[in-house]
Amino acid sequence: MTYRVRLDQFEGPLDLLLFFIQRDELDIYDIPVARIADEFLEYVRILEQIDLDGVGDFLYMAAVLINIKARMLLPSPELDEEGEPIDPRAELVERLLEYVRYKEAATSLGEHFERRSELFTRGAASADDQLRLAAKPIVESASLFDLVSALRRILTEAPEDEAHDIEAEAYSIEDQQAYVRAILLRESPASFLAMVMHRSKSFIITTFLAVLEMARQGALTLAMAGTENDFFLEATEDLETVDITDGVPHTDQEPD
Amino acid sequence: METSKSTSTGGESAVSHLGQVAEALIFGADEAVRPERIAEVFADVRGVDRPSNADVERAIDELNGLYEATGRSLRIHPWAEGYRMATIPEVAPYLKSFLDLQRTRRLSRSLMETLAVVAYKQPVTKPEVDFVRGVDSDYALRKLMELEMVDVVGRSDAVGRPLFYGTSNTFLEKFGMRNLDALPNLREVEELLSDPAFSSEKARLLMRNSLFDIDAHASPQSPTELPGGDGADLPADPAPPNGSGEPWSGQ
Repeated sequence: MTYRVRLDQFEGPLDLLLFFIQRDELDIYDIPVARIADEFLEYVRILEQIDLDGVGDFLYMAAVLINIKARMLLPSPELDEEGEPIDPRAELVERLLEYVRYKEAATSLGEHFERRSELFTRGAASADDQLRLAAKPIVESASLFDLVSALRRILTEAPEDEAHDIEAEAYSIEDQQAYVRAILLRESPASFLAMVMHRSKSFIITTFLAVLEMARQGALTLAMAGTENDFFLEATEDLETVDITDGVPHTDQEPD
Repeated sequence: METSKSTSTGGESAVSHLGQVAEALIFGADEAVRPERIAEVFADVRGVDRPSNADVERAIDELNGLYEATGRSLRIHPWAEGYRMATIPEVAPYLKSFLDLQRTRRLSRSLMETLAVVAYKQPVTKPEVDFVRGVDSDYALRKLMELEMVDVVGRSDAVGRPLFYGTSNTFLEKFGMRNLDALPNLREVEELLSDPAFSSEKARLLMRNSLFDIDAHASPQSPTELPGGDGADLPADPAPPNGSGEPWSGQ
């Protein structure tokens, strides 16, 4: 069984759009769809390359963007019943804003949950076991897409894998987790770029997935470096305790 | 017949009989106890008229007042349409150490998002949740059902009769809410956009995980470091230095 990192644990396609809007300080009501659609596709290609689960939702959104882009190229704009021109982007904008509302609600609900978690009821020791397993700290100080941006730059400079490489899976996520851990125990924070310098693409990608998984388990935190093609990994106090030699925490990844 | 009155010979006890019974039932229960249930049991056993919900509430208030006045580490909370006994936040570090909880418990981003959509839009179908989030929520919904935060609450009349999902009593309890009316308000888009602080607000909302966000998140910082068990007495120094001024710290 090959182990896969689930993209939906991190970010979705709407988050990627919001990432662009934020990064380029775009007016949400006037999104340059043509440009964004192209860049969106580039990101999807990277996501496909690193083979995260859940890229399908991104492909769907890419199709939506391309559809809007095409409609905006039409010489005569579509009109609504009152004869007003329809902005092909309107529906998407509405959806983005709606999503932002729920993101905000999720944050404030999360605060409720954390506050309530400080209060213990009888039997909390056993009953809450399940919840402890579910506790998954997120990538704290960098968005997944910041990381993907950095990865994209690193990959373009990486040497091509040997063409006659017959072993398909030269590196496993488990091995790379051990590799990353060994480095972090020696030096923390550590640069991702330095970790994969002059290595093959498959090495870089597997290491990247290992880093994501470890971030999800709370063994490390991620922060963007000053330059845009690197980021830093910092060990948390959990690095020692998180069990990665056994590789995968099968608790919530098991396909049914 | 002998009444149980004789057992509390102290006389000056500030707790009414109803209070004693309520305390006992709430202590013994594994989930929130509804006031109706407390009243029913009280009336059945004692052979008296059923106290009203307001009577029960008054008895609980009395108990909480007494706990507070005597510096106890328990409180009774009105959660999930009932009452639940829980420890005060000041002793959380000790419980975490005792239960070997390594960090403050948290639900993952995808679970929180899915839960928010279900909570505010319920009853809601999976396609509706997927649409709001832009991703397939199958995994998140299954996980939330496993955690008993979300339940199937019926079927839609739409084509294919998809299942309706809603939040459970466990959700209310785990989030410390009396009922769904206690959900924080979902802000309107207009409100978000017209907020004078929208530019910084936008940064916070749109880039929840970004670097710029560190400050916004620093405030509700939870003490991940437990104070060492070096003989500190319980009431003294209840929290690490950063845990000051919590809204519940009973005065």
